Amino acid sequence: MRYLLISICICLVGCASYTKKNNFKEVAVTNDVVYNPYFSDASKDYVYKAKIEVYNKTFGGIFIVKKIAEANHRVVFTTEMGSKIFDFSFQGDDFKVNYILEEMDKKILLNILEKDFRVLVREEEHVFNKSVKENTTLLETEIASKKYFYAFKNDQLNSISRVKKGKEKVQFIFSDISAITAKNIQILHHNIKLTIKLKSIN
Amino acid sequence: MRNILYLLFIMVVTVHSQEKMTTVEATLLKEKVKAQAAETKTITSDFIQYKHLDFLTNDIITKGDLSFKTPNMVKWSYVDPFVYSVIFKDENLYINDEGQKSDVNLSSSKLFKQLNKLIVNSVKGDMFDANEFEISYFKYKGNSDVHFIPINKKISKYIKAFHIQFNSKGDVVEIKMIEPSDDYTRIVFSNRILNKTLSDAVFAH
Repeated sequence: MRYLLISICICLVGCASYTKKNNFKEVAVTNDVVYNPYFSDASKDYVYKAKIEVYNKTFGGIFIVKKIAEANHRVVFTTEMGSKIFDFSFQGDDFKVNYILEEMDKKILLNILEKDFRVLVREEEHVFNKSVKENTTLLETEIASKKYFYAFKNDQLNSISRVKKGKEKVQFIFSDISAITAKNIQILHHNIKLTIKLKSIN
Repeated sequence: MRNILYLLFIMVVTVHSQEKMTTVEATLLKEKVKAQAAETKTITSDFIQYKHLDFLTNDIITKGDLSFKTPNMVKWSYVDPFVYSVIFKDENLYINDEGQKSDVNLSSSKLFKQLNKLIVNSVKGDMFDANEFEISYFKYKGNSDVHFIPINKKISKYIKAFHIQFNSKGDVVEIKMIEPSDDYTRIVFSNRILNKTLSDAVFAH
């Protein structure tokens, strides 16, 4: 009986929603679309110096994003000396590998990169729930059947979190923001040792 | 009629910019570059790197300097818009990424060793190996432009062609590395100084 009570308690805590756990209060959805403006300007070449930390190994390169058309982005990673490491296209829900270095052509890695960059470049998505706490608003949405929370502080998108069973699995943190450009972006994985840090260089 | 004239004009311009060298001219250039490379003990130079990706509005521009010392030490240092250097020495790559140091041993990878050798040779311009490349010679704006197409399939998977421009002294002024997708990296040298005393400390990690 005691174990049952403990189990119920654990479940109640563990299953508590991400918003409730963080003391957000659910409110009515007023605008049912959430926007990420940081890769929305088709006239701009987005160029970042990248540092990727994976299982205590760090390597760098140049991370490039270009909006080709509506819901169509090109995402390319090269070494500092210019050799291409990967080159992806995101068009609507489609994903195409234009090029990937043979040594990196692993399905498990490709899946992670596809998921991360799809979220990064996705400009708008349907909102299912809205909750607020002080000057922060959380908008809940779904991308490729995964649950995401977009956190806005004073109407500025500060982070996107992929959440599973009330826990953050991946966080996208935007900082040093001017107008619609995030000069610093961090993608932090909490379930695997992978961090991608991007710093704008143009 | 007017269209034909335009077409002829364009053809003349194109032919003018990519005029093929005669066999004699090509041999002279090759000898000049080889003699120059044999005498070159050190090179220091500034460079501007243009990364061209077809879908971008502008090329990505990075700037830095290059040091070379015989037999095979090369250091590429980027200073703008970020600080990063890579030293090719023995069979290792030594990287300093804004103060964060790391190294990569290439001895286990024949391919990377070959690519490494190409980078060292291209800095000197001495890549005239008919066993490794299909070579063609052009004149371009008073310089010589030599196209090296790798014969080895493993190399050509990464680099479709090297285009190296030499000035009248047979010194390298520009290197263009073209990828199979036709995107390319173009490196333009300036303030190139040969045989200045260069301490090994420059290539210390």
